[in-house]
Amino acid sequence: MGRLNRFRLGKDGRREQSTLSRRGFLVTSLGAGVMFGFARPASANQIFPLDKALPGDGAFEPTIWCSIAPDGEITVNIIRAEMGQHIGTALARIIADEMEADWSKVRINYVDTDPKWGLMVTGGSWSVWMTWDVFRQAGAATRTALVEEAARLLGTTPDKCTVANGIVTAGTKQISFGDIVAKGHPSHSFTPEEMAKLPLKPASERRLIGNAEIKALDIPAKTNGTAIYGIDVKVEGMVYARPKMPPTRYGSKVRSVDDTDAKKIKGYERYLIIEDPSEVVQGWVVVLAKTYSAAIRAADALKVEWTPGETIHTSEADIQDRGRELIKNKDGGVYIFNDDGVDQAFSGAHTVMEQEYTCASVLHYQLEPTNAVAFEKDGVYEIHAGNQWQSLILPTLAKALQVPESKVILRSYLLGGGFGRRLNGDYMIPAALASKALGGKPVKLILTRSDDMQFDSFRSPSVQRVRMAFDGSDRITGMDYQAAAGWPTGVMAEAFMEKGVDGKPYDQFAIAGGDHWYEVGAFRVRALRNDLAEKTFRPGWLRSVSPGWTSWGVECFLDEVAHRQKKDPAQFRLDLLTAQGRNKGEAPDSVGGALRQAAVVRRLMEKSNWGKTTLPKDTALGLATTAGQERGMPTWIGCVAQVHVDRSTGVVTCQKLTIVVDAGTVVDPDGAKAQTEGAALWGLSMVLFENTEIVNGLPVDRNLNTYTPLRIADTPEMDIEFLPSTEKPMGLGEPGTTVVGPAIGNAIFNAVGVRLRHMPVRPADVLRGLQGS
Amino acid sequence: MTTFRLNGRDVTVDVPDDTPLLWVIRDEVGLTGTKFGCGIGMCGACTIHIGGRATRSCVTPVSAAEGADITTIEGIDPEGNHPVQQAWREIQVPQCGYCQSGQIMQAVSLLKDYPSPTDEEIDAVMAGSLCRCMTYIRIREAIKKAAANARGDASNG
Amino acid sequence: MIKRIAAAIVGIGVAGGVGFLAYAWYPAIAPVAPPPPSTFTAAQIERGRVLAAGGYCAECHTRTDGVRGVELAGDYKMDTPFGAIFSSNITPDPETGIGRWSEAAFKRAMRKGISRDGTQLFPAFPFDHFTHMTDEDIDAVYAFLMTRQPVHSVKRDNTVGFPFNIRLEQAGWKLLFLHEGPLKNNPKQDAEWNRGAYFAEGLSHCSACHTPRNLMGAEKASAPYDGAPVDNWIAPPLNDHNPTPVVWTEDEYFKYLRFGSAPLHGSAAGPMSPVVHGGLSEMPESDVHAIAHYLAEIDHSATRVSQDPKAIAWAMKASMKDLVGPQVNPNAKLYAGACAACHANAGPQPVEGRPDLALNNALWLDEPTNLFQVILRGIGTTEGISTVSMPSFYHSFSDADLARLATYLRATRTTLPPWTDLEKKAADVRKTLPAPPVASSH
Repeated sequence: MGRLNRFRLGKDGRREQSTLSRRGFLVTSLGAGVMFGFARPASANQIFPLDKALPGDGAFEPTIWCSIAPDGEITVNIIRAEMGQHIGTALARIIADEMEADWSKVRINYVDTDPKWGLMVTGGSWSVWMTWDVFRQAGAATRTALVEEAARLLGTTPDKCTVANGIVTAGTKQISFGDIVAKGHPSHSFTPEEMAKLPLKPASERRLIGNAEIKALDIPAKTNGTAIYGIDVKVEGMVYARPKMPPTRYGSKVRSVDDTDAKKIKGYERYLIIEDPSEVVQGWVVVLAKTYSAAIRAADALKVEWTPGETIHTSEADIQDRGRELIKNKDGGVYIFNDDGVDQAFSGAHTVMEQEYTCASVLHYQLEPTNAVAFEKDGVYEIHAGNQWQSLILPTLAKALQVPESKVILRSYLLGGGFGRRLNGDYMIPAALASKALGGKPVKLILTRSDDMQFDSFRSPSVQRVRMAFDGSDRITGMDYQAAAGWPTGVMAEAFMEKGVDGKPYDQFAIAGGDHWYEVGAFRVRALRNDLAEKTFRPGWLRSVSPGWTSWGVECFLDEVAHRQKKDPAQFRLDLLTAQGRNKGEAPDSVGGALRQAAVVRRLMEKSNWGKTTLPKDTALGLATTAGQERGMPTWIGCVAQVHVDRSTGVVTCQKLTIVVDAGTVVDPDGAKAQTEGAALWGLSMVLFENTEIVNGLPVDRNLNTYTPLRIADTPEMDIEFLPSTEKPMGLGEPGTTVVGPAIGNAIFNAVGVRLRHMPVRPADVLRGLQGS
Repeated sequence: MTTFRLNGRDVTVDVPDDTPLLWVIRDEVGLTGTKFGCGIGMCGACTIHIGGRATRSCVTPVSAAEGADITTIEGIDPEGNHPVQQAWREIQVPQCGYCQSGQIMQAVSLLKDYPSPTDEEIDAVMAGSLCRCMTYIRIREAIKKAAANARGDASNG
Repeated sequence: MIKRIAAAIVGIGVAGGVGFLAYAWYPAIAPVAPPPPSTFTAAQIERGRVLAAGGYCAECHTRTDGVRGVELAGDYKMDTPFGAIFSSNITPDPETGIGRWSEAAFKRAMRKGISRDGTQLFPAFPFDHFTHMTDEDIDAVYAFLMTRQPVHSVKRDNTVGFPFNIRLEQAGWKLLFLHEGPLKNNPKQDAEWNRGAYFAEGLSHCSACHTPRNLMGAEKASAPYDGAPVDNWIAPPLNDHNPTPVVWTEDEYFKYLRFGSAPLHGSAAGPMSPVVHGGLSEMPESDVHAIAHYLAEIDHSATRVSQDPKAIAWAMKASMKDLVGPQVNPNAKLYAGACAACHANAGPQPVEGRPDLALNNALWLDEPTNLFQVILRGIGTTEGISTVSMPSFYHSFSDADLARLATYLRATRTTLPPWTDLEKKAADVRKTLPAPPVASSH
């Protein structure tokens, strides 16, 4: 109760802005009955549905995760970021289902940072998987406490009570959850240990989990302009800021600043040279103005000279060459697998196949450019922004501001796209430092699109070397997989790295996917950290992280092997997905192991008429399959892509994507489909439509005039199916991305016999392949 | 000073003539449903209606809106129940939602020009509206649904 | 539209001789006390208002650079290769305007290009067209102007240097190119044609911009309405050299001149916008019909209109090119992302309010000037199709992007040979804009 009160007061403190600003704005007349619109204070609570508020006094809070108010309204606290996955609705279903709540009374509350929430991160497709047990237990605890109190109020014992849809029934008597709280005093609270022992509902009795009829609570606000994103925050007295970007991501030093021309811009106030003790933001100058358009113009007009950092001439090719060099060198790197006998398998091989696969840099281009509002109030810095990993950036902000972590609080908003960009909260730092320089005055820093792209922590370009050893009868005896890329986790979240079999830390998000579930004999997986990449830019986590590019190497290579062995690529995979040894899986996350991946492939073959369909000339199917994001949390997925290749232009057209997924229990069937649609199209975009290149130390593309992500006309027909399962739910935000690239690469080969080993697929490469063949 | 009509109300603003209409609507008037995406008129997130036609407000100077009749996402229906908005909720189109104000404004405009749009017409007219969550399949479906609803076709679910 | 006319001052070498001087010399007409408003009838003043609109008086007699001047108070800056000329104050201020001009002095200026004090006016003032107006109409304009609020406003001095500042030279120009007096009725044509000719050739001076000029800055009699550059735009040919795939029929002309947009050609942007808005839009509909009738005769639209259905069908097909199905051509992507939402048309005809580029003047002209102007500037709600607006892509596209877009559109939305040297031309047009139209960001 006390906690809720505190929370509410804290939020009230933010309601200090009027709906309309005063400056230069007047409404001259209002016709009767006409609507101006729903102008609504930004930075109001992030509660959905929107017409709800936080519960008042007297609410029962059995755990930190939810509360039941005397009027029966149930508030579920969500510590994950809402960035399109409707995660609050999905998680609330879990707790509400277990609680037996009336869904119409459930609302979700996206909370601000507080140590009590534990790790606040939204990425890796983890949210449902991470919350599944906690929320079911919290729901069971709530139900238990309410039933105990209901029994007391009804003059009976808990074992005589049944509970459904927010009503506890004992014989002929009934009482609602709200009335239990209003009339009684439920007080049973639970320790985590107690919660873990509570009995949970069997899958057969679930009403909300897996229910396709339930709509996402956040969607209505996203159709009428009332949804509030970080960029919509308005704080009394704030100034607008735009950065003037340095010529390199790191190491640029400001030599001189001349604001003679900037001063001619009406509304320009001043500039600040940002000195960041955390060293995340280097060489920035921030322009402050009364309006954002004045800040845009003034930043354009400001003349800054820098001494550039050492990567001023670094190119994408330099970085990839460095990756090749690292792979070639036997020393260094981290072994994820290093089975006995790998070297023997290769030295004694009858044949060895080796290929190199490369993937280009890819930018996030989340549609809401990065932005943050920062101010200091009573010694506490408040940072208002959409963010995916509050727990990660908060200590960095404290370091930058040189205050204790307890003096920094992050307020949560909807994210105008995450895709991993907002796992890295670096964009909050200059806003916070600008505010500090102004004595705590509110600063709203917005990056224009070109600023945002220049500052992006994008997906590192990568090099993969894949080798396989075969004996005299063409049986696979060993595999050696190596990949070099910039390591986002190494740069930004070192403590979060996993340990290899050699005990050394490595970035699982820069190698996962290389550690596949196929039987390949003695297997070695080695991850190389591309230091030149990390010097040049801040490698980022981008939707599906490494499985978005390791699959390009692994799955294209498998097809190459299958074709060489004159086997059907799908059957070839089935023969390797036998769930032996490390691939047999373990409870609760990977029950069934590789056999589940095999089941996905079989269903995919049925659905796509694999091997049984005759397609027009230069048109073919291609298949790829992965275990999603991580071995520890496998989402078994496969894709068949149908492509047509135009031999005269080299243009590849994807006509259809057929996708089969086994993600365990599907909590939100429509949301799962939506996530898979989006993820798969993201994969399609990266293989056929979008990519960038580092030129002179920076990504060369700065906006949509040259950066060309997939648009509506590029969208093919899609057929997505989830295999029924009652296993623990796995992630769905990213796995769809992993399979499309290699499915297309394999389909191109099947259509015209050209094997492409660089992603993206470019018409010129196809033409070159056609001329060579 | 520039005067225009916004969601049915007369508005006069005193800002430099070259101020993009987007920032006038968002920061001066305070209607934040219209979004800033690319700033160059190529993503569609800032789409509003000027004189009933979808227009990218991020590259439209306020001076070009003198006397205009402007509608934003907040103004297409007083209850937020325009047939396109309804279809958007029925089909559960939005993911992160950031582009969706613009998508809806563009779709409303599309349906005025093409009341029963084909896939080709949808692709051509919606080409300028980028969705990074890639909700395109649902956008197509919802536009057709809104068209059907507007025609009074029997509901298909 | 007036800036290029100003170039006419280059006109003339000094022709010597007493005879010429006699021709060139005009006496001052004595100043009069400003006539009181009661001198004029309300109907006369109203007629004058409409005619002043149709002759775009305010367009060139109102300052626009730096500050916005009071309407008709002059000081409009016209840049010429030889320096700047500033227009005069034509409000009835006795000191700085035309308050002390008699009706006769005004009429002499309109007919002969002579100021009240006898000095020669530069032909930047299109008296070579106004001369064709009837006495009655000139008197009405006089009545209108003399009943405006007097504004005390001294114009800036012209910066045209020697020898072009010798106003006497203008007399020689007139000797060659001024055909003084009202137009003769053409009995071979009907009354509407003659009425259209009266406005088009006189008051509204269409050919001042749409006819190329000779070295002396006068309209080429050999190439009437052949199109010409004007104020960093192109005034397209109005004769049958007009390259658009669909002919300019009387109906298209009428919609264009009356409402600012011809559905099968495009909208009135740049210097043409004020011709329509606040100009011809103020005139009686029948007069605008007459102008349309006259112009449609000039381009022989009746004899060419039969080809239109084929041209429209071709254009409608071109309009959807590259917009259906996946696309990887970066130039097509640029067009799809920035332009198609408003300009793509499906079906048998363009939808009203969706200007189709495959039919648009700007793509079919010999140079990309107008295309670049419109993309860079945009079109406000008071221009073109009023109530709607096109954004300014000034900051959106680099000159290279503009060149890509122009190359692509010319290749896919016309049947004409490619434009050349586009990046430089884009940069040149960009340079002509006084300031970026919108404070957007890349």
